[in-house]
Amino acid sequence: MNMDNAWLVFKKDWLEIKRNWQVLLPIIILPLIFSIVFPVIIMVSANAPMQETGTQDFQSLILNLPSDVQTQIAQMTPSQIGVYIMVLYFFAPFFLIIPIMASSVLGSDSFAGERERKTIEALLATPLSDSELFIGKILVSFIPSMIITVVSFSIFAAVVDIITFGMFNGMLLLPNVSYLVMVFGVAPVITLCSIGLTVIISSKVKGFKEAQQISVVLLLPVLGLVFAQISGLLILGPLVLVGLISIFAVADIIIFYAGIKIFQREEILSKQ
Amino acid sequence: MIDTENLTRKFDNLIAVENLNLHIEKGEVFGFLGPNGAGKTTTIRMLACLITPTKGSAMVAGYNIIKDPLKVRQSAGILTENPSLYERLTAYENMDFFAQAYGINSITVRQSRIQELLEFFHLWERRNDRVGGFSKGMKQKLAIVRAIVHKPPVLFLDEPTAGLDPESAKEIRDMITKLSQHEKSTILLSTHHLEDAEKLCRRVLIMDKGRCLLVGTPDELRKKISTTPAIEVVLTKVTPEILAAIETNKKALEINQQGTRLLINVEDTHVATPEIVREIVEKKGQILSVNAVRPSLEDAYLKLVKGEEIS
Repeated sequence: MNMDNAWLVFKKDWLEIKRNWQVLLPIIILPLIFSIVFPVIIMVSANAPMQETGTQDFQSLILNLPSDVQTQIAQMTPSQIGVYIMVLYFFAPFFLIIPIMASSVLGSDSFAGERERKTIEALLATPLSDSELFIGKILVSFIPSMIITVVSFSIFAAVVDIITFGMFNGMLLLPNVSYLVMVFGVAPVITLCSIGLTVIISSKVKGFKEAQQISVVLLLPVLGLVFAQISGLLILGPLVLVGLISIFAVADIIIFYAGIKIFQREEILSKQ
Repeated sequence: MIDTENLTRKFDNLIAVENLNLHIEKGEVFGFLGPNGAGKTTTIRMLACLITPTKGSAMVAGYNIIKDPLKVRQSAGILTENPSLYERLTAYENMDFFAQAYGINSITVRQSRIQELLEFFHLWERRNDRVGGFSKGMKQKLAIVRAIVHKPPVLFLDEPTAGLDPESAKEIRDMITKLSQHEKSTILLSTHHLEDAEKLCRRVLIMDKGRCLLVGTPDELRKKISTTPAIEVVLTKVTPEILAAIETNKKALEINQQGTRLLINVEDTHVATPEIVREIVEKKGQILSVNAVRPSLEDAYLKLVKGEEIS
């Protein structure tokens, strides 16, 4: 496989995506909401008079936190606890949803979109190999999704720090190790896994929308992580995150290998 | 340049192409002629390594379509049923992508080749316009130019004039003629427009329901299906005396009258025409025109696809 050729497919697709608001808007709006609306919620809750019952909502989550974090929390006021928990634990898993949502839109558009726009036949007639086409389509979903995730996380972190700087006496809440591992470690492997499956789905179904509808199902395991953390069932601490990275890295390898194996030009063409 | 051996393709129970054997010479413009569903596109897709044959094989530019599909793709250019252009990209960006995909890595070579082609086919002025804003005819032109960007020895054109207005269709035909002279490619084109086949192709294969019905030059095909030669005479007025005079002439085998137009079947137009004309003039007939009727390729085509017998 020639990586330059996969890169060529990426560049061509990226040029097209940049000029397609139908694809671009959904992948920009959600991260904007996450990185601006969420900090505003935090700000509002920080300014609201926090009752003891407010922190009780997070009791099950707090009880599952590491002991050093619990000790740290014990020194805080109820308002500080609310903000601290929301910023560092409540909203953290949402940054796994951003790349998956973005890659689901981009990945669904890969082969199914080309088929819908009737451009697939000329592409498949080129001497680009199956793996070059497959990897190229994965790159065009992966790179923008990760850029959007990192940018939205950076905005989120900056806004949060500006809002909470005074409240925590000059302590910057973000970025912390867990967030960094989540954004730069877990998000890429989970995204790759989701993209691999989405591109495979996209090559098997007829249209973009059909591919997207099926690929949204891939969000469910991540939503499971979100609710597990919110309810305190599973805390996404460094160890859990490293575990997730390992599991998804293995899944990525299996999905890529299977994706290239089952990639069939003829099948892609016959869905027209 | 292209050789097929019992090339067959089935889709479930449907035989799209059945035991196709053909040989196309280097530099030849060869036409596949047939109605929709005849198997033309399927054959081109097999030869361009987009789909695999169920049975049989083929060599394209010296490479086997089953064993060396990548080499075949490198050696062939294809205009697919749809122009298959990226409408959000400009004409130049489309060309640049496909030039690289076909392995033209040097920027200088790529630029000069794209410029040469776009200028030659009068598209250079529109190079920075997005393809989405092009007319159907321009898209088709660009798609053909894209297919030859890597100077392929073999070019497949699937319905190059389909859906175009007469003016654009003529432009595309002129372009293909220029192409075969300028690029010296072997061109295989499929069409159900007889005009395309007649004007562009040295040889034509008529196919229907996946089977090859006949192969030959347009002239050979005409000869093969020709029945009795005929003379067409148009008069100002057809009188009973004129009809009686022609009927008594032994060289006139059959007369069909359509108003003032007479279609007279004869054994030999060269021998019969002067005699019949003389008799009409003798009976005071005023002749507007006289033509020896040659069966057209259209006649040949219709006769074959309707399953009539070939003489």
